[in-house]
Amino acid sequence: MEIFSGGVTNVGRVRTNNEDCFRIEEPLNLYVLSDGMGGEAHGEIASALAVEALVKHCQETEHDPAMTIFGDMPSNWSEKTKRLSSAVHLANKTIFDSAQAHPEQRGMGATLTAAWIDGPRLSVAHVGDSRAYLLRSGTLQQLTNDHSLVAEQVRRGILTPAEAERSDMQSVLLRALGAHEEIEVESEEHTLFGGDVLLLCSDGLTRMVTEPEIAGTLQAEPDPLKASERLVELANEQGGADNVTAVVVRVGSEPKGWFSWLRRGTRKTAQKNGSAGGK
Amino acid sequence: MAKLTLMFEQKTVKEVPVGSRPVGIGRSPDNDLPVDNLAVSNYHARVYFEAGRLVVEDLASLNGTFVNDLRVERATLHDGDSIWVGKHHIKVDASGDTSTFGDTGRRGATAPRINETMVLDTKARRDMLQQAAAMGERTQFAVGRLKVPTLVILSGNTDQKEYMLTNKLTVIGKSKMATVRLKGWFKPQLAAQVNQRDDGYYVGPGDKVPRVNGAPITGPMRLNDGDLIEVCGLRMNFIFRD
Repeated sequence: MEIFSGGVTNVGRVRTNNEDCFRIEEPLNLYVLSDGMGGEAHGEIASALAVEALVKHCQETEHDPAMTIFGDMPSNWSEKTKRLSSAVHLANKTIFDSAQAHPEQRGMGATLTAAWIDGPRLSVAHVGDSRAYLLRSGTLQQLTNDHSLVAEQVRRGILTPAEAERSDMQSVLLRALGAHEEIEVESEEHTLFGGDVLLLCSDGLTRMVTEPEIAGTLQAEPDPLKASERLVELANEQGGADNVTAVVVRVGSEPKGWFSWLRRGTRKTAQKNGSAGGK
Repeated sequence: MAKLTLMFEQKTVKEVPVGSRPVGIGRSPDNDLPVDNLAVSNYHARVYFEAGRLVVEDLASLNGTFVNDLRVERATLHDGDSIWVGKHHIKVDASGDTSTFGDTGRRGATAPRINETMVLDTKARRDMLQQAAAMGERTQFAVGRLKVPTLVILSGNTDQKEYMLTNKLTVIGKSKMATVRLKGWFKPQLAAQVNQRDDGYYVGPGDKVPRVNGAPITGPMRLNDGDLIEVCGLRMNFIFRD
């Protein structure tokens, strides 16, 4: 499977600092996004810690598969999904411990949405209100659940999606990294098909740009970096109220016939303002 | 605090406040609001706070629970609503209510605008999770609520006759990775897809445009119990299995 990816993060048009952070870890086909929260520079610290801890754990387990798996998870999950979920538990612990050790960091936290592609299998692990989407045959499907109060109210039928969009409580999260020593991680496995497009994004995108606009942009722009740039532009054109980050991963069309092995392993990656969470 | 007043015609029968515990309504005398009428089931309905909203839930009663004129299984209550069970009704007074998480409702912004992202503290979160757990229990006990979405193959060449939809994404196609695997020459790798969303299951196009109940879909379409889906010579029913 050929994989092309690109990502952009931008401070937006209202905020002065960028608490979003993402990483495209090319050799592993690992894609990570985190949106930090907390006073002063602490949101930036939290999201950077989250991404760093997760990527580090995934890299280490590539060399040492016997490493401990953290958290309870179903035994029928693949090794990669277990690892990814485990890495989110570790990232949580890292932020929590840092806040304990540095009183001025109390209250800092972060969302974390990570995707790991292994052949046709996609593993997703997630906490918070950043999102992973899959565009397949023109249909955009959200793969993650928002761990926010309003999303929970919609799932229970207490609010309609329209009421949720107007709600004043959109920023209230039920789960985030760093808030508690233990955390519940949402994980899932999916099978990828040729032509699929994966999008990881922060709420700065989804609050400004509608899902049909996102689907249209991903379909119109085949280059992942240009697509992510376009999405960020759209969010800024429509207000840019928050930091905005988009990571786009495109799975090449399914290789046809016996010569498919010739093309295996080809890939292309681009990224802008990456792991440093630049402005 | 919200208050419920049981009325028979214009007469007040009983008044109870709604606290952290659900208020039970039914013919059995151990209900908080006992209703002495044969049209009312023993445990007919209950009212409780959930995520800051006052909710009424019908407990699979024989003759139903109505809010104002509408029969409901579950509904959010607002100040001034009337819940009808048999010939009795219960007036809802939520005027003095200060809810746990602030009112996010249709009556507009009473809660302060929160711009900064925040996480609910441990206690609020615990309450929320407890409510979720209680909700889960109720869902299992309520009649016919716990159902598994299933595709039943009526005609066509597939590897199984029935598929339970357990994943968020289900693909129908010839591909080895497809859940519903089509057999035969010239079948597309990815014919169509069924996706789970918060509000239900949607069928969407793949390389082909499926037909639902005879009509080609124009985009992802929400499936109802019993819908007939046709794609690539395959005919199947979408049903909720017990």
